[in-house]
Amino acid sequence: MSFSSQDRRADEKLGRILGRVASVRTRLNSLALQHAIFYTLAIAIAGGAVVFAGAYLLSPLAFLVGTSVLAIIGCAGIASAVGAGWRMRVSRVRAAAIADDRAELKGRLSTIVALANHQVRGSLWPYLVEDTLGYQDQFAAARIERRRVSRAIYPLAAAFVLAALAIPISKIKHPPQIAPGGGQTDMTVDLDDLDLRPADPGDESGMQVTADAATMRRLGDKLARLGAAGGEAGGNSLNQLVNRARDMAGHLQSKLTGRQTASKQRLNLRLADAGGDQDQNEIHRAPETQKNRRGDVAGQFEQDQPKSNHELDLPREDDLRQPSSGPSPGVDESGAEADSGKDNPGNRDNGATDRKIQQSGENGGGGGAAHGIGADPDTLFGAPAASKLGTEGFEIAIEARPVDHGAKGAGRAYVAPRVRAPLSLNQAPDEPVARAAVPADDRTTIRRVFER
Amino acid sequence: MSDVQAETPTVADFARTFRRIQAEIHKLIIGHEQAVEELLSALFVGGHVLIEGVPGTGKTTLVKTLGLALNLSFNRIQFTVDLMPADITGTRVILSGEDGRREFSFQPGPVFCHILLGDEINRATPKTQSALLEAMAELQVTVSGTTYRLKPPYFVMATLNPIEMEGTYPLPEAQLDRFLFKVRLNYPDEGELTRIISSTTGPEEAGVEAVFHASEAAERIEALKRLVREVMAAPAMEIYAARLVRATQPQNSRFVTGEARAVHDEMVDRYVMFGSSPRGAQALILGAKVHALLDGRANIAREDIEHVAVAALAHRIMLNYAALSDGIDAAQIVERVIKSVRGGKL
Repeated sequence: MSFSSQDRRADEKLGRILGRVASVRTRLNSLALQHAIFYTLAIAIAGGAVVFAGAYLLSPLAFLVGTSVLAIIGCAGIASAVGAGWRMRVSRVRAAAIADDRAELKGRLSTIVALANHQVRGSLWPYLVEDTLGYQDQFAAARIERRRVSRAIYPLAAAFVLAALAIPISKIKHPPQIAPGGGQTDMTVDLDDLDLRPADPGDESGMQVTADAATMRRLGDKLARLGAAGGEAGGNSLNQLVNRARDMAGHLQSKLTGRQTASKQRLNLRLADAGGDQDQNEIHRAPETQKNRRGDVAGQFEQDQPKSNHELDLPREDDLRQPSSGPSPGVDESGAEADSGKDNPGNRDNGATDRKIQQSGENGGGGGAAHGIGADPDTLFGAPAASKLGTEGFEIAIEARPVDHGAKGAGRAYVAPRVRAPLSLNQAPDEPVARAAVPADDRTTIRRVFER
Repeated sequence: MSDVQAETPTVADFARTFRRIQAEIHKLIIGHEQAVEELLSALFVGGHVLIEGVPGTGKTTLVKTLGLALNLSFNRIQFTVDLMPADITGTRVILSGEDGRREFSFQPGPVFCHILLGDEINRATPKTQSALLEAMAELQVTVSGTTYRLKPPYFVMATLNPIEMEGTYPLPEAQLDRFLFKVRLNYPDEGELTRIISSTTGPEEAGVEAVFHASEAAERIEALKRLVREVMAAPAMEIYAARLVRATQPQNSRFVTGEARAVHDEMVDRYVMFGSSPRGAQALILGAKVHALLDGRANIAREDIEHVAVAALAHRIMLNYAALSDGIDAAQIVERVIKSVRGGKL
């Protein structure tokens, strides 16, 4: 055998060893790549699912904050996953070292790979190659790394499951936030019960407010007072940024949830000046009823976060004059009771208030026989021949929407049922433990200690 | 006498020869397998060994048996406090020639041999101990301005008695560093002690058969030493050995550079005064090469380095008083360093 043929055979053996090391490296790098891709996809999909669900479940401000935090966490997670994948990739020397460890080759492959390109290899080099080739079955790629698919596939699958669950979760957890009386756009509210505040800039929704001249003057005065008090806060650029961000979150939320913001209707809000003849009305108003009325109605308009898909679907003014044919979705049991008070003229103003409460769907159930449904706004403050609404008034766009607080869980507090579990037959009844008497000698010491 | 193949030995030849020498030694030496392996490893890489053990554990017998098994020239020096350097290296004396003329002639000392046993080396003065330095490091002796070469293989084994410290002179660090390994001989266990009794108190003494012919012993041992040097060490293994050595150096040492300060262990910082020298790294790799050949490999692995780490590094580490008071010895430091470096802590 010639020397060159010996060299050729030695090179062939070396090539086989290096080829196996290369296949090990390819597999390890493939897993590293899969790790980065799968984790990135998993984070993106899971994040998208959470954002989607959050769009249904959260208010715009909470959605904005949650989405921002989620975006930061997601970006950090993706960067971490990519970095981990980058670190997991191996060089040829590293692949040989891993193969050495897993196949218990005691550094044979590492030595061959490290010295393969050396010009002077020593007299034991052929022995090393031959010796290592004898273990070639042990360092096949399939034995060094059995997995072809990275374990990161499990988080990805979990992300898909989460994404699949996001749709039903958003439907299950999201209660119907439809304001009662679909298609109704008119409502009446007492001026004193209004909680006025500047509307969000850019909020396309609004309300057409109508009232008699005196009421509108009072409303103007109230707005002027509020404007003087909150002028500085209203002009704050930070508030504008927050409002803008919240508005963006609202738009994103609307896009995700498919709400049609363009088809928003304007709400006709009719103001009733209860303050003008408040003294007279207060005589007829039971204190408890007034408390309920003010609290409920104020709460109705304090909520500035849009909660409903059909937030402007309110009863028309004409509909308000007619008794409801049946309880609307947001009407509770008190609505039915209010029907019984329809014929009681002394409770007409209360009936109007209750009507508003019915619209909000937040009646605490404090009605009863004194609450009548026959509230005609035209006759609340005098004869029907009084000046009609809108003749001398003006329009002010304010933010006032009928909302449903059900999503916040603020409707009814959970009352734990009273359960009295019977004692075990072998259990003795509870008896108070006799208090031990303090020894007389220690009393002085104990008293001194506790007096400190 | 000998059927060991000469000329260009193979890996299998090395392992076979090594095992045969071991077997011959163990005809007289009961137990101490690790010590014998380290002793032979030092022989085949051209190093020297410091043997530490309590009296009666077979230090001198071990060295004698090695000389018999290798069939090499063997000398023994009993170091005492009044021993002079010339007693070791040799001196020039006036001799009368056949023609009656008198002239100075060099009389070689006991260092002129292949295997030298320095018994209880710490009983001699530092001046006498230093007389061995040149012989051990450079295989030559200079007397009266004339340098005399020593014939390879040259193998020095010095014994230390750790309990009789009265009137002794501990070896200086420079001399300790010249020993490749420090081998510790512990008391034999009960089984080994029983075998020692039965083999040494009977009418017949076990005979040791020489593995090599006297005429070719030196040549064959040199061939095996060259084979050890051919064992390949991947760069990763050299880095590993370097990290081990650097990890033995305390962080607060003024001789440690800033880069090396990144490699430290708390135990080292607390107990070590001076760490291993670069000779420690050389000893690690050379000892690992012998161990790899015994395992039938032509390359070294981490396991080989760790196998010889205690023998190669322990005597190169100077401990402080805190270690002495806490009962910490250098072997524990080395094992701690191995764990730290292997675990990627360092």
